[in-house]
Amino acid sequence: MSAATSHAPVQAEAQGGRSNPFLLMPITLFFALLAFAVLRAPNLMTSSGIGAAIIVATPLILATYALMASAMSGRGTVDLSVGPLIGFINVTLIQLHAAGMLENPIAVFIYAMVVGAIYQLIFALIVIYVRVQPIIVSLSGYLALTGINLVILPRPGGVAPPFMAEWGYGTSIFSPILAILLLASVAWLLFTATAFYTHLRLMGSDERAAYTSGVPITIVRIGAHLISGCFAGLAAICFTALISSGDPSQGTTYTLIAVTALVLGGASLAGGRGGVFGSALGALNLYLITYVLSTFNFGSVQSFVTNLAYGTILVVSLLLTLLIPVIQRFIRNFSPLLYFVALSVVVLGIILHATFDYAALGQVGALIPGPLDMQAALTGPLEIATISPETDALRIAAAPLVLSALLLVVIAIFLRMAITQSSRRTLAPAVAVVIAALVLAGAYVMSEGARAPATEAID
Amino acid sequence: MEKFPQISLSARILGLVVGLILTAIGAGFGFAQGASVQIVILSAIATLALFVWGWRYVLGQFLDGDTATSEGSSPLRQAWVQFRWPLLGLALILLAFLVLSLTVKGFFNIWNVISLLILLAILVLTRTLGRQFQQNRSAFIGIMVLAGLFSVGSMNIEGFASGNNIKSMLLFASFLGIASVGQTLVALLGGLDLSIPFIIGGANVGLLYLIGLGVPPWLATIIVLAIGAVLGVINGFLSYRLQGQALIVTLGTGFAISGGVQIVTSIGSEYSGNVFGTVPGWLSNLSAMNGSTFGLPFPPVIAIWGLIALILIVGLRITVYGRFLYALGVNRTSASRVMISEMRYWVLMYALSGFFAAMTGSLLLGWSGGGFIGVGDQYLFLTLAAVVVGGTSLLGGAGGYGFTVIGVLVLQVLSSFLVGIGLDFKWQQFIFGLLILPMVALYARSPHIRTQI
Repeated sequence: MSAATSHAPVQAEAQGGRSNPFLLMPITLFFALLAFAVLRAPNLMTSSGIGAAIIVATPLILATYALMASAMSGRGTVDLSVGPLIGFINVTLIQLHAAGMLENPIAVFIYAMVVGAIYQLIFALIVIYVRVQPIIVSLSGYLALTGINLVILPRPGGVAPPFMAEWGYGTSIFSPILAILLLASVAWLLFTATAFYTHLRLMGSDERAAYTSGVPITIVRIGAHLISGCFAGLAAICFTALISSGDPSQGTTYTLIAVTALVLGGASLAGGRGGVFGSALGALNLYLITYVLSTFNFGSVQSFVTNLAYGTILVVSLLLTLLIPVIQRFIRNFSPLLYFVALSVVVLGIILHATFDYAALGQVGALIPGPLDMQAALTGPLEIATISPETDALRIAAAPLVLSALLLVVIAIFLRMAITQSSRRTLAPAVAVVIAALVLAGAYVMSEGARAPATEAID
Repeated sequence: MEKFPQISLSARILGLVVGLILTAIGAGFGFAQGASVQIVILSAIATLALFVWGWRYVLGQFLDGDTATSEGSSPLRQAWVQFRWPLLGLALILLAFLVLSLTVKGFFNIWNVISLLILLAILVLTRTLGRQFQQNRSAFIGIMVLAGLFSVGSMNIEGFASGNNIKSMLLFASFLGIASVGQTLVALLGGLDLSIPFIIGGANVGLLYLIGLGVPPWLATIIVLAIGAVLGVINGFLSYRLQGQALIVTLGTGFAISGGVQIVTSIGSEYSGNVFGTVPGWLSNLSAMNGSTFGLPFPPVIAIWGLIALILIVGLRITVYGRFLYALGVNRTSASRVMISEMRYWVLMYALSGFFAAMTGSLLLGWSGGGFIGVGDQYLFLTLAAVVVGGTSLLGGAGGYGFTVIGVLVLQVLSSFLVGIGLDFKWQQFIFGLLILPMVALYARSPHIRTQI
């Protein structure tokens, strides 16, 4: 794919970075785990269930983004120090807050991202000018930061800034944490439209080719690390909100999990391949594994079983990526987005099945098989039935679900259009975005309208 | 090594004479201090051999490099241009020392001045002499750092050079050294093995569990070592096709191993994850501080490590297997063209890695006397650090176990030194982290991209 990007831009547009077969595994795993989790514990799909999932998973997702951005730059940049870096920002934030500084939310955000970016800038400068292997630099940073974290805050404690206090409750879906996550993802997606991103991918997959074709590799590498640092800062903020205190050693554990998530999400540690979609899926998969296992009661060996499952799933999914060339022989143009939408419809059905209250339906009456009346069978569907209040209530209850399913399809179509058109310099993407926004607004108005009669009916 | 220039007869004789004199002095001191005869003879032979080897080696390096002087602008200016960075660094160190001695009370004493001089001597020597070594520059620098650290430590810290401290340093170094065997071998092929700490922990717990079940200890040890090797084979097969991702595959198997071992050992036990049992006497003797080897007062594990190191160093250098290993590490394609099975070596190295990790776990059981799954956790990055500090390239094909031995010793002496000057674990780790980078930067810099095209 990288070769195609470098010398045949026309072909690159057809295959682009979009037809990424390495997303096959994470998507399949994600939906398998999701279906299983919902069947085991339907209350994952309540507002507080999803909210808690978002709160817990977001630091990991952002840490994986941070790893991804630097891993894409090639030379085997596996930033082992991302965990301690998160811990470092966390403990310094807590200590500075305790010292009376950093009251303002904006200041906190700027502080976290700037610290992350400065660390990554130093990292990049060492890699570029001292020319030591990046993994050694990151190992060095891992040890140094782990030590200094314990010096700054010897044991867990302290309080997070007050404005973060209720972020970590996870009682509703729409928390500021979700906003951070979405903004970070959208920022990366916007970034993928730039030439800088193309340079980054080219450099990651073949640095020599990039250098000879005039890509300013020094600047590109520094840029990748700066982005990684900003993601690490955001991850640290979400982590601080999650534990709402300071912890010098907890952040360190993110290193191994985030590397696992990155690989599980189909990115290449060798560089050049990766994205927010896969990384987020990889991190969510890890969260879902833990969640599914926690629904079983293994008693005292719970954490051991989790370890075993982590390891096994990681190895198996890596081995399955070996099948991808075989699959690619049969499916030339694999569209991750389409596959995602298709599977999500199936899983939506499973979710409905799991969460639907069948007991309430039992009173309405089941279908009684009898002799088939030919006349009624032919004309029946055309007649306008008189709607019983139960059916009406059911319809109103079902309306948001139907709407959201429709919405999913529409969003998918428009996303697809916008993405395929994005490389051509036309108005089409803008038009697509406007129409998508209109559809969204329409759906919102309709759902408001649907909700109002529903409340009346209940009254 | 192959291209040893012959050194002249007079130089050889001079070396022999100096070595003999040194040996005699050493033996005299040994007898004067009342050490037992075996030790004196052993150390005398070791001194002589080391000195003669070093003489031949160092002199040999000098003979082919005759310096060419060029005419140009004024010599002072030339010197400045040539040694700009070293001179600046020197000035910085002197400045730091000045600031420290002005601010910290009692810092300016005779020992610190001597330490500074030693530090400067090492730096100057590595800059000047290190250039002469075409190969093995990292080993030279490592030995210099080791010597410097040791001499500074023994001057500043009471009891640093005492027999007990050296014994304990060697004891811990041998644990780390045996654990790093696998990492070195795998790194020579261009892979990484992160499952080592988990296998160490698993072996540690599993051995005690087997002994607790009533299996004879010797049989239990053999079983554990065999399982370690089998796990290594599995690692090798799994990661063979996924070589770019070896890091993450071995991490995954490591997680699975540590989880699996704990599940097995906690079935039917009410203390989840905690295994109890008695460690047999010979196993504790093997790795306890007060153990003895055939009557000599040091734990056998040090001797075991020495033996392993000797076999590996010689084996890697002389045997056809060792040469094939390097061949594979340097260039896979050309190695497979001359009928070297890449897969066999890859799997074999991972098997050895698992075997030695299990061995470390068993030995650590003898040292601690109780099973603990997290006993290997610190080895996750320490083995990597030892390999890297020693000078084995993680890309494969360059280095060797001898380098790792130096790396292990440097890390151990450094940590002992840091403990000695009163720094606790967190500061140690911080300084470790900060020191690895410049040490590696001294010799393992990759060429600029424009020279690779």
